[in-house]
Order: sequence, then structure tokens, then C-alpha cells
Amino acid sequence: MTRGELILQILIFSLGFFYAFVYYVNVSQPIDLQASSDQLFAYLTAMLTAAFAIGIINLTRVHVNNVRRKRPAWRYSIILIVCLYGMAIISMISSPFALDPTGAVIPGSLIDAVTPIWEFLYYKILVTINSSIFSLLAFFIASAAYRAFKARTFESTILLAAGLLVVLGQAPIMDLVWPGFAAIRAWILSFPNTAGQRGILIGAALGILAFSVRRLIRYPWGR
Amino acid sequence: MSMSSLRSDPRLIYLLLALVVTVPILTHSVIPVPVTSTTQGLYDFIQKLPADSLVVLSFDYSTSVVPELHPQAIVVTQQLFMRPLKILFVAQWTDGPALADAVLDAIDKGNKTYGVDYATLGYIPNSATLLGMTTDIRQFFPVDTHGNPTDALPIIKEFPAAKQAALVITFAAGEPGLSQYLQYWQARFNIPVAVGATASSAPGYLPFYSSGQLVGILVSIRGAAEYEILIHRLGISGATSAMVAQSAAHLLIFAMVVFGNVAYFVARGRKKDGAE
Repeated sequence: MTRGELILQILIFSLGFFYAFVYYVNVSQPIDLQASSDQLFAYLTAMLTAAFAIGIINLTRVHVNNVRRKRPAWRYSIILIVCLYGMAIISMISSPFALDPTGAVIPGSLIDAVTPIWEFLYYKILVTINSSIFSLLAFFIASAAYRAFKARTFESTILLAAGLLVVLGQAPIMDLVWPGFAAIRAWILSFPNTAGQRGILIGAALGILAFSVRRLIRYPWGR
Repeated sequence: MSMSSLRSDPRLIYLLLALVVTVPILTHSVIPVPVTSTTQGLYDFIQKLPADSLVVLSFDYSTSVVPELHPQAIVVTQQLFMRPLKILFVAQWTDGPALADAVLDAIDKGNKTYGVDYATLGYIPNSATLLGMTTDIRQFFPVDTHGNPTDALPIIKEFPAAKQAALVITFAAGEPGLSQYLQYWQARFNIPVAVGATASSAPGYLPFYSSGQLVGILVSIRGAAEYEILIHRLGISGATSAMVAQSAAHLLIFAMVVFGNVAYFVARGRKKDGAE
């Protein structure tokens, strides 16, 4: 381990230990550790926000180069750049992310003019397109229901039966046919599902804990 | 059309699905929707909140899941506005602030006043802000989404720290979402949490409901339909009228699974006969 790496490691360990300590122990005297931790969080927010800027710069570089060098599908890069900066500029003038919503610097007439454009682009275009694309999932599921969900083995038969019972219990119309479907669905979700989910959650939490400790103390040593 | 051609060309399945979804919606068919315990849990909790309690609503979803989660946000917000409660709107997803505005446009706000009874704080960029605002909202949100200094808002003067909240409800499509509130708000400050979930993620949240960490779960658009019935505002979110379409789609999927398995076993039986 070089000297620089050692300093970095000490810094990582100190901050990691500090946040873990402050999370569990309340210290207000002589120094308010909770307040110090909140202040550091404010700096962290500023740093993470800068990461967004890096992302935009990177995206712009990649797609500007695509256009310059006429790489395959370079026309899509033009659309991306226009949409990215167009929507960003409009959003900065009039949206919940507006830089000057009170109109102190940007003229009120410009904000009034841009507001319907932003609302149209966001609510009529973006929401509709994204919802439609997500809804296509239903068609794939219906097709997969016929083609993939087969009772090939004992285990897959159990899974299939459980899945079908949950699907039937989730459909309100089946309550009119037989209220038992809803009760079976609730039982499957509350007991076998919850038991399985708990095992996964606890296993993952222990894994994260072990990884965090290894990272903090840099175990195996020196790697 | 034979079973094998259906397997290679699923267009008939697509057509059937399109039909069973569009016909009930166009004919405005409605069926009764029984209320599940997870939905009832959230409704009862809100009804029992003392007057002037602070409730935080977090819009943690993007535009792609608007059909599933937006109706939930509308009905829950409507109930909150029907009660003498204070409400703060935040979002862990960038789309959230705009979707919160859309919800506020869709509901009956009664006699509640912006800044006094409710406020939209906007986007929470990371967990640092989420945790920091529990002790000082003004430090992390110097202005609201309308550009008003939060210092000047009566609701923030009354509740300067989010740890004073009596309930936080997250409409969560994934990460960041529920787990952040469970880790940083519920575990640390014992703030009750509820979630509006997509149908695919709801089973993963049930362990937290059965352990008492969640006071309620709304499951997909059905949860919104159940809530419409509970608050006696049928049609406010469009969820109730979507229930016939949803039921029909579920039944079609059930039929497709059964049909597919019959086809599979018939084909397997023929193969065996051929081999013998």
C-alpha cells in the first residue's frame, strides 16, 4: 500500500466509522456530532449534484462526436442532443425545477409563454410515451403466459399454481365468482412469500454488512 | 390457427389482450372491488391522525408507471385534503415534482391554503438530503418549487424538521423509494411509513407490513380503486373503471397459461406415442 492509498484508506475508515457511530449514538456535548454529520451531508449533496453535471458533459461529448464523425445512427444523436438541451432549457424557465420561478430575473412574459410548452411536452408527450412503452409489458406477459409458463417439473408446477392463484385473487371479478380466491392470494403473499422475502432480505443485509466492514478495514489486508 | 402457429405468431394473443382491455374501458363497466387489509390499514391510520399532524408525501416514481401509481397518489392526497392535516410534497425521483403538481391539479383542495396547510418542496437528490431534512428542512430546501423561501412558509415554521412527521407515504416504483424512508426515517425516528406500490414490487414489501414497519400498502391500480370506495370519491382517479379491464386481462393470462399447458402436454403425449 502506498502512502497515498494509506491516507485514503484512513479517510474512508474514519468517515465510515463516524457515520455509523453517529447513526447509533447521540452525542450533543461537547460537540454536537449529529449537527456535524448533517453539515457534512450538505457538502455531500453538493458533490453528488456535481456528478449530474459530469453525466451531462459526458453524454454531450459522446453524442457530439457521433455527429461529427458520422458514426452509425448519428441522426439519433442529434435528436438526443436537441431533446436533452431543449427540455432542460424549457424546464429551467418554467417547471417545478425552474431556476427563477418568481420571475426576479427571467421576464414574467417569457415564463408565461413557456409554461404551456413545458406542460405539453411533459404531460402530453413524455407521460404518454413512457406509459405506452411500459404498457407493452402486458402484451409480452400475455404471450409469455402461453409460451413459457409450463408445468415441466414438480417445482415449476408449484410455482405455476401459486402464480395463477395470486393472479386470480388479484382480479376483483373473481371475488364475485368465489371469495376464497382473495383469501388464498392473501395467504400465499402473507406466508410463503413473506418467509421467502425475509430470507432474501436478511441474507442481503448480512452480505452488505460483511462487505462494508471488509471495505472499511480493507480486508484482505493490503488489497 | 393451430397451437404451434400461436406459439410462433402471438398476434392473436395481442389482439385478444387489446380487446379485453379496451372494451371494458370504452363501455365504462364497473364491478365491486373488495377492500384488502393493507389498503384499509392506510385509510384507517390517516383517519385516526390527530388534527394538524404533518404528513409527508413522497413521489418516487417516473412517468412510465403513471397508470399504476398516479391514481394512488390522487386518492390518498384527496383523503389528506379532506382532513385537517398539514402536507409536505417531496420526491426522490426527478419526475416526482411535476407529478405532484399534476395530482394537486386533479384533486379538490377544499379550503386548504398553499404555504399554510401544504407545500411542495421538490426533489430530494440523495439520501444525504433525505436524512438531513429530518432535522432541518430549511437547510436542505431553502426555497420551495414556487421559489418561495421556506423560512417564510407557515407550515415550515410550524414543522421545521421532517422528524416531526406523523406519517410518510411513498409512492414507490423502485429505488430510491421505500427502503430509504425505512432506514432513515422509520428506524431512526420511528416515523410511521406507508407505501403505494406497483403490482410487481408489492410482494417484496409485505415483510415490512407484517412486522409493523409499514402501516399500509396500496397495491397497483387496484389499491387506488379500493381507496376510491373508501373515501367515497368514485371516478376521481379513474381506477374503479379500470378494474373490469384489469380483471379481464388477468383472466386472459390465466386462460393463456392453461391453454399453453394443455398444448404442451398434448404435444408431449404425441411425441411419446411416436417414439413407441
